[in-house]
Amino acid sequence: MTAQILYAFITIIVGVGGCFGYFYGSNWLLDRVLPADASNDASAVRNLKLQAMIRPWLFLGPALLLLTVYLIYPVIETIWLSFHGKAGEDFVGLSNYVWAFSDAQFRQSIFNNLMWLLVVPAACTFFGLIIAVLTDRIWWGNLARSLIFLPLAISFVGASVIWKFVYDYRGEGQEQIGILNAIITYFGGDPQVWISLPFWNNFFLMVILIWIQTGFAAVILGAALRGIPEDTLEAATIDGAGPFKIFYRIMVPQIMGTIIVVWTTITVLVLKVFDIVLTMTNGQWNTQVLANLMFDWMFRGGGDFGRGAAIAIVIMIAVLPIMIWNIRQANAEQGGH
Amino acid sequence: MFKKISLEPSRFALHFAVLVIIILWTLPTAGLLISSLRDKNQLAASGWWTALTSADRNQVGRMKGKADQGEKDGKFVIEGNLFEGADAVSGKVSAFGTKVQNPGANPAGSTVELEGGQTLTVNADGTYVLTSPTAFENDRGGRVFYISSQPPRFTVENYETVLFSQGIGRSFVNSLTVTIPATIIPILIAAFAAYALAWMKLPFRGLIIAIIVGLLVVPLQMSLIPLLKLYNAAGTFMGVPSKTYLGIWLAHTGFGLPFAIYLLRSYIAGLPKDLIESAQIDGANDFKIFRRIILPLTFPALASFAIFQFLWVWNDLLVAIVFLGSGDDQLVLTGRLNALLGSRGGNWEILTASAFVTIIVPLTVFFSLQRYFVRGLLAGSVKGG
Amino acid sequence: MKKNLFLGAALAAIFVTTPALAELKYKPGEDAKFTWVNLDELKKVDLKGETLTIFGPWRGDDETHVQVVLEYFREATGADVKYSSSENYEQQVVIDTQAGSPANISVLPQPGLIADLASKGLLSPLTDADKAWMIENYGAGQSWVDIGTAKDKDGKPQFLGFSYKTDLKSLVWYSPENFADAGYEVPKTMEELIALSDKIVADGGKPWCIGLGSGGATGWPATDWIEDIMLRTQPPEVYDKWVTNEVKFTDPAVTGALDIFGSFAKNDAYVDGGAAGVASTDFRDSPKGLFTTPPKCYMHHQASFIPSFFPEGTKMGEDADFFYFPTYASKPELGKPVLGAGTLFTITKDSKAARAFIDFLKLPLAHELWMADGGFLTPLKSANPAAYANDAARKQGDIMATASTFRFDGSDLMPGKIGAGAFWTGMVDFVGGKSSADTAAEIQKAWDAIK
Repeated sequence: MTAQILYAFITIIVGVGGCFGYFYGSNWLLDRVLPADASNDASAVRNLKLQAMIRPWLFLGPALLLLTVYLIYPVIETIWLSFHGKAGEDFVGLSNYVWAFSDAQFRQSIFNNLMWLLVVPAACTFFGLIIAVLTDRIWWGNLARSLIFLPLAISFVGASVIWKFVYDYRGEGQEQIGILNAIITYFGGDPQVWISLPFWNNFFLMVILIWIQTGFAAVILGAALRGIPEDTLEAATIDGAGPFKIFYRIMVPQIMGTIIVVWTTITVLVLKVFDIVLTMTNGQWNTQVLANLMFDWMFRGGGDFGRGAAIAIVIMIAVLPIMIWNIRQANAEQGGH
Repeated sequence: MFKKISLEPSRFALHFAVLVIIILWTLPTAGLLISSLRDKNQLAASGWWTALTSADRNQVGRMKGKADQGEKDGKFVIEGNLFEGADAVSGKVSAFGTKVQNPGANPAGSTVELEGGQTLTVNADGTYVLTSPTAFENDRGGRVFYISSQPPRFTVENYETVLFSQGIGRSFVNSLTVTIPATIIPILIAAFAAYALAWMKLPFRGLIIAIIVGLLVVPLQMSLIPLLKLYNAAGTFMGVPSKTYLGIWLAHTGFGLPFAIYLLRSYIAGLPKDLIESAQIDGANDFKIFRRIILPLTFPALASFAIFQFLWVWNDLLVAIVFLGSGDDQLVLTGRLNALLGSRGGNWEILTASAFVTIIVPLTVFFSLQRYFVRGLLAGSVKGG
Repeated sequence: MKKNLFLGAALAAIFVTTPALAELKYKPGEDAKFTWVNLDELKKVDLKGETLTIFGPWRGDDETHVQVVLEYFREATGADVKYSSSENYEQQVVIDTQAGSPANISVLPQPGLIADLASKGLLSPLTDADKAWMIENYGAGQSWVDIGTAKDKDGKPQFLGFSYKTDLKSLVWYSPENFADAGYEVPKTMEELIALSDKIVADGGKPWCIGLGSGGATGWPATDWIEDIMLRTQPPEVYDKWVTNEVKFTDPAVTGALDIFGSFAKNDAYVDGGAAGVASTDFRDSPKGLFTTPPKCYMHHQASFIPSFFPEGTKMGEDADFFYFPTYASKPELGKPVLGAGTLFTITKDSKAARAFIDFLKLPLAHELWMADGGFLTPLKSANPAAYANDAARKQGDIMATASTFRFDGSDLMPGKIGAGAFWTGMVDFVGGKSSADTAAEIQKAWDAIK
């Protein structure tokens, strides 16, 4: 055990140290090879210029390298695979895409994903905003926000157990251990099998993601709310605006930028959502979503990489509008300074 | 922090509303916490919200066999207590029966006639007397069903099972070995890259930013096979195993970088311009500026990204299993707990306790970095992305 | 970055080679039920310094069992054997073999998956000697060879999977004491079984506990029902054709079997929790209903492995027992069919140690060790039945031996996309209310789509 901890410690030091080492080493080398305090002015100026040209790439290099290897290369490989058959060897043209759009499950997933996209980011932002506004004005607001943030720290395995105790179903007349059914039966209703309830079961799964992500929204929006200048609010109060008017007319527009960021982040997350569906229903009872469908086709029962890849490409294309919007934002800001 | 603005319908309503929301949000987790502390039999039998009440429950006990019989008044007698034995529970018998279909047929203290002239009496304290005109012949005694009031029972056994299970310590260390560098390395790399993208002159800057933002949306599952192939090729080429810690750190770094650069760049770009310019006039080069000025100022943003990356890596299972392996020596904590459930998926008590065991570390990290967290994201997001 | 690449890798290598510590569970030479002479033969194989990685489906208790067996191999040959498994094990086999970093030996429960991997050329064939040995030494040896045979990349049939550890399906579990209390008799025919179910309903009880829940594999327990019913309503030839889709899912033979299953699982009066609860109840929780007071149900259809999910302290043969899922008295010509399943050892990365391990599996000792540990049945004729841990296992071994027809789990033989996909989800939909015709059409459509 001690030996293992020692190894772990050394491994960590070596790994993190290596990273520090690169940045120090490469910059030190640059300063050494092209000294800024060179003997004559001309070469010093030239060196400085060269330094300014090279240094950004020293800074950016590792990031670009890693992004290329870990994300860009797989994306290209996936695009290539999506035009190929099961084992990724024979070229099949567009037939994987043709198959996808004629597949009932795929269409079901698109429909479900759209519902997720409409509901989850909106709900998270909405609840996040409400919670942020309310907790901003009470002395135990920080504690409250922390409690709401808590689900974000729970692994998906943990979350699925937690929700098992909410959605669990036992036959009529038996003691329910799922709280939702316990409440229903307490008021005289019939217990329901929530996760297989047609159509609505999608919403019961969404609730889990909303539960997890609202904390994220609340914390960020809460911080943004505090950034609103005090006098703006005071002025509005003096003008006789009511609390709701202040909320809609002053607060929301002031933090619109943050709201959009939160919305976007959660939207991207929703498109990649897969763990919740996998652990709760594995896409059965018409709860399939694209990311889980892709996982299914890629790895289950021997795997069909062509079809899996085609679905992955569809997911990426689906987020294209959000990407473009984000890039515009980044570029607009770029022009700013 | 207080804001005395006049949207105050009533202080009480406000506190109440927040309280309701908090209760709604923590209720599921509270259920898990309470469940993890309950006796495993009660856990599966009743809702966690009934944990504090004692409940009437149908129980089954087994009487002693022929080895324990005695003779009294010309009859063969077996005496004992239903609440004795290894897994017996204490309580108070209110009714009993000898048929499984009707466990509460007779009130406690009464005597019932059984087949072959046998009689059975069960008292409220669990003692029973079974008599028979002929000698008992079965090695194993018959069953007695009874309804007893069960006091609530809390236990830390579930946690003991999880914490003292084979290999958990090793997995814990493995998890830390994976998580710590996989959190620090991307922060460093992203911070440098973000600074370069925010303040340094370089060609294609806009394009690089656009690509990085675009990469936010790549689903990582699809990169598993291409990357593993690459690792295997690299491993064979250099004669090292393909599944190493270095490999998993870099994988997590690669997957976390777009978000990290996105977040840090907007934060760093928002820093006051004069600060950097005056440093440049003083003759500091960019590396010095970064170390002396940017790094300390960016600390809140770094901390907030650290939390996200830490949570993500710590709770990850898929990447760890694919790039590190699922052998006994390589399993991370999430993998170990998953294996613990393994074929025994019905054991909710292990699930509940292990869910809390995994939460502890990320929670500690969250609470220790929380102050920076709020500030870091604020500056980044107020700018609008 | 480069320097730490090597250092990190070197350190990681040190990490990986720490030896596992275990002891031999049964002392060699002590108990006569084991064929100890095998151990001496095994000691002649020298594999010192060799590493053998095995990737298998067993976790939890089953992993302890497999480790007991592996320990003897380690001890005798000196090989360093590493066993691992994971929750997403089937997906990981695909990822690892595809990417080129599989274990030496991958243990696969599904011949259908073996066929998929074989067609991509990812498995190394076993030898003709292995094949000849199995025909000679396993009961119904040829059928076991057939199960382990699949077409390789060039479409040539190859013997790839070595069956070791089998499960018996076709069992109905019950509590003998509950049966005695209520005055029920173990049914001998399907007609009696249905009559008994009706009687239990009339007495105010629920005859069956059926749970299809199994996380990502939800639905599979129902496939066992369908296969068992197929074998009891159709000749084995039809079953074989169904498995290869020569008989389509939409064939009346198959939809008929679905309907019979439906008459159990979709009957609110028959199942605990009602039809609605069937699909959402976890198959691991389901059998617990046999042992509650009053019992939630009296019977549970499941394979021989299920006792590991019975409540702690349940004594086999006393608290719980099983009977053969009976056949129709009206169809005597079908005999006594038995449905089984098992795990197949395939070589995914060839090595000397991997071949030696396959040879090890031919030794009766390798079978007896796990037999003694429980939860293990074997078709190996030379294994000593005395090694079985209990009478129940011996009785199951007997059912297997006296079967007039033995068939492997059909869903495992179908292509992975069907047998571990569309068939499962189809059963969930079926129990959820879809008609047998619609369900069958849906599954058949999925099968057509992969052709």
